[in-house]
Amino acid sequence: MKITFGEALPNLRPWVQHLDQVWPAYIIKPQFASWEVLHILSLVILGGTAILMNLRLAGAGLVEEKPSELYRSLRRWQDLGVIGIVVSGVLIGMANAERLYDSTAFVVKIIALIAGIVLTYGASRPIAKADGVVSASARSWFLIGAALWLGSVTVFATAVLANPGLFHVLLAAALIVLLLTRRGARGVFAAGLVVLVLGQIIITHTVIPADDLSRLDPANKVYAALLALWIFGNAAREILSPSTDQEAGRLAKLIGYASILVWVTAAAAGRWIAFA
Amino acid sequence: MIREFLVWLQDQWGKGAGDTAQSWSQQLLGSLNLWGLVEGTHLLSLMLFAGTILFVDLRLIGATFQRTPVSVLSRRILPMTVFGFGFMVITGAALFFAKPLFYYHNIWFRAKLIFLALALVNIVIFHLRAHRNQQVWDLLPKPPTETRILAAISLASWLLVIILGRFMAYSWFDCGKPIPHWVNLVQECKTSEHGAVDASAMAAIGGTGS
Repeated sequence: MKITFGEALPNLRPWVQHLDQVWPAYIIKPQFASWEVLHILSLVILGGTAILMNLRLAGAGLVEEKPSELYRSLRRWQDLGVIGIVVSGVLIGMANAERLYDSTAFVVKIIALIAGIVLTYGASRPIAKADGVVSASARSWFLIGAALWLGSVTVFATAVLANPGLFHVLLAAALIVLLLTRRGARGVFAAGLVVLVLGQIIITHTVIPADDLSRLDPANKVYAALLALWIFGNAAREILSPSTDQEAGRLAKLIGYASILVWVTAAAAGRWIAFA
Repeated sequence: MIREFLVWLQDQWGKGAGDTAQSWSQQLLGSLNLWGLVEGTHLLSLMLFAGTILFVDLRLIGATFQRTPVSVLSRRILPMTVFGFGFMVITGAALFFAKPLFYYHNIWFRAKLIFLALALVNIVIFHLRAHRNQQVWDLLPKPPTETRILAAISLASWLLVIILGRFMAYSWFDCGKPIPHWVNLVQECKTSEHGAVDASAMAAIGGTGS
């Protein structure tokens, strides 16, 4: 079954079909490109703030500064990025509503967007503001946000033609783990990544013919699962390592990881709306 | 000369024997997922590249991180920026390789290259001028005017690179459409496979073009 808003809420179709003719969509439509640019610029601002603030929580990036100092310097910019993403997203979405209504990637994007807002405002920012102290409330919001994010990833994995977009999330996860892994283990992790990626290229380009989709699809899925296992296994080993932090520090680190990846998931799903 | 090379790159390089054989460029463009992955990675790399250089430039302007020394911010953030830029260059080159003639005759792409060059020249100027006496203003909440101007030029250049990059996807000024004469000239539409159609000439004869 295809997971789309069209499948879940079929009675809304007539309303969705007319969305591009109501205010402000009919004003937006002729300037669609400009609003798309605003959407991308908001993504840049949001991406930059999420990367810097959450890498700090994870113990990398601007480590000379306290997390609260990063929070102080970035919070207004992050608000601007989130508001820009949501406002420009609603406007370009209205002008393009019917396509989004039948898109599984759009469902992924919306769930990931909600997860991103929950993780950012409920967990990541309060923890940064408190210099890494994880309150009970932040812990609860993290659980809600993480569940939503995992839900979005699950839907992404089922999205026919859009699911290759999950490789963006895996790539981002691999880069974060590579950055945060301690020197000795970093080489092993990188070597494992290279072996898996080369293995996938060789198998899907030489062993299985390029037009044999019935074999290519499961092969790619197996490789995606192996990559995910390798990346998140290494992340777990790094987070749970006894030599690093206390439990609260570990949780802050985990929230840092998740709060970057959730935005990558939303952005990747957004891009794959155009492809599938 | 350049166009002939790009024709070879798009239509001939890597082409095997047989009527249905495709060049490597055509294979990349027609691939089921690879082109999408490259295109998606190009866009997502913006979060890392532009998202990090934004805050270095904003610090140099004095708009944020005013209590953090510029040297600390640069040391910690710029390696990420460079890494992101590497991703953008590699994926950007692959995207160009998939449609070299389209980009060659695209006014937005040509403008993008100009602002990309301006941004890179600006980095060199920054290192030659502002960077030399950085220890003097490293801790200042607001660096000297010259540094702030260079940061503003950097921000504006990257902003334009992003905007022009997005506009490349739109067919407003594609060769073969009735477009202003100067755009035909800038894009060298006359040499493109679609030719040059002057909007003013079309209007004069009462046509609207195709």
